[in-house]
Amino acid sequence: MSERIYLLPLWIRLWHWTNALLIITLTVTGVSLHFADPKLPLVEFSLAARIHDMAGIALATLYACFVVANIVTGNWWQYVPKPPGVLERCIVQGKWYMFGIFRGEPHPYRVSEEANFNALQAISYWVIMYMVMPVMLLTGITFLMPEFAPDRFFGFDGLLPVAILHYLTGTVIIMFMIAHIYLGTTGKTATSMFKTMVNGWHEH
Amino acid sequence: MFQSWRKTILTLLILGLTRALAAHGGTEAAAIDPAVAEKNRKANEACFACHTEAGLKNPPRTDMDMKKLAETLRDPKVFAGSNHGTMDCRQCHGQGYNDYPHSEGSKNEISPCSECHATRVARLEPQYDKSVHARLEGVKAKFTCATCHDPHVNLGATLLKDPLKIAVQDNQACLECHDSDRVFAKYAPDDEKKPGIKKARPDIDTIHDWLPNTKLHWKAVRCVECHTPEVKANRPLSHEILDKEKAEKNCLSCHSANSSLRTRLYRHLVKEEVAQFGFTNSVILSSSYVIGATRNPTLDTIVIALVGLTLAGVLLHGAIRIIFAIRRKGRKQ
Repeated sequence: MSERIYLLPLWIRLWHWTNALLIITLTVTGVSLHFADPKLPLVEFSLAARIHDMAGIALATLYACFVVANIVTGNWWQYVPKPPGVLERCIVQGKWYMFGIFRGEPHPYRVSEEANFNALQAISYWVIMYMVMPVMLLTGITFLMPEFAPDRFFGFDGLLPVAILHYLTGTVIIMFMIAHIYLGTTGKTATSMFKTMVNGWHEH
Repeated sequence: MFQSWRKTILTLLILGLTRALAAHGGTEAAAIDPAVAEKNRKANEACFACHTEAGLKNPPRTDMDMKKLAETLRDPKVFAGSNHGTMDCRQCHGQGYNDYPHSEGSKNEISPCSECHATRVARLEPQYDKSVHARLEGVKAKFTCATCHDPHVNLGATLLKDPLKIAVQDNQACLECHDSDRVFAKYAPDDEKKPGIKKARPDIDTIHDWLPNTKLHWKAVRCVECHTPEVKANRPLSHEILDKEKAEKNCLSCHSANSSLRTRLYRHLVKEEVAQFGFTNSVILSSSYVIGATRNPTLDTIVIALVGLTLAGVLLHGAIRIIFAIRRKGRKQ
């Protein structure tokens, strides 16, 4: 029987899977809207627009709950890479992803109740959740209420910079999602991290 | 009888003249001599002395039918900015309006639009005849060009230029009836299910329920973008107004790289289009960001490449992990 610790409370797991579902929905509908083309088999445009709007509002609400819950429970502290030696730990972690993992070496930093994430994880999660996500949500909300967008932007419609920022931040989140799902297979077994996200128990 | 012949001959003469002008690069609306325009402006002052809000408040005479006057008010500034703004009112309204009281029956002497716009009317009339407005029982008789195109207000797209201003102006023509129960009732046909009762005006928001961001669409494009059939590039917009069954419901008609807005609202600007920062449909982007239409292919390629590389990266990493794991397993055995 392997050693295990209870790592993720119910609210984090519920938030995570709802977040995942919404982001996948927004990805599919967002791609359908941006790359709209009669030759491509995408979600029908007006349906995609409605789903994208509703899922976007849901994601913004969920994000607000996430921020509040993080403050109330103190979970925000998990996202802060703690000095000293943050850079060194990032390098060690990076080397493990590039070499150690292939040789079957164990994770360089053991997951604990105090530190759920390794330094690279903490930094990337922090950047995604507190820098990229707010920009994506704010630009999305501006799309829903275009009267708040600048009227003009260097001779273009003022929605252009909003649209480009939304597109780029959305792309970064899609890239993160691909990497995130893949890195979820790097636990003790290929499925153990997914199980943790379901039952909250982490296996060492 | 004589009048009718005179009009027919005049129409044919104008038709021939405009065709000859067009063949030599001329246009239907030739620039007017500034001296003539000034003379017309002064002549119109006599009309505007009564037919304005100010005239209604302080009528220059006491013997006028104020109720009738209140229905025929114009804004001189708006008129001056319209396509017909340099013309003498009497050019269309006739000599019966030289004095007050105006001559009996002078209202029936107003020149039809075809008197000047013969070529256009000849071309557009067959299209209009297929319109929902022309096909409904009892409605066609109440419709003239001026029902939709207010000659005292409208400015042509090539002069108005800004597509957002064109949308406001042209949508006003539709909304004047379709957003007012009172005006709609004037033209409404009988209700199909309740004979003898006028058809009630359908609520404009409810019937466009299916259209996402409805209000934004109405600010940015005209009703006729969807409510007319698409025409070939370089051809003027069709005057066949389509009902809700036939109207365009395929969003991709506008929201794609090959956007029909190029042959509709932005038709007059397409010739001057300058590709800006590599965006497709740059001509639209100057007024509106239209998702699916105003894209940057270079940015799209970079984005697709980045997502593709991420996917390829994790697949490659996973494949190497599997290979190494198999080798380790083999060694152990």
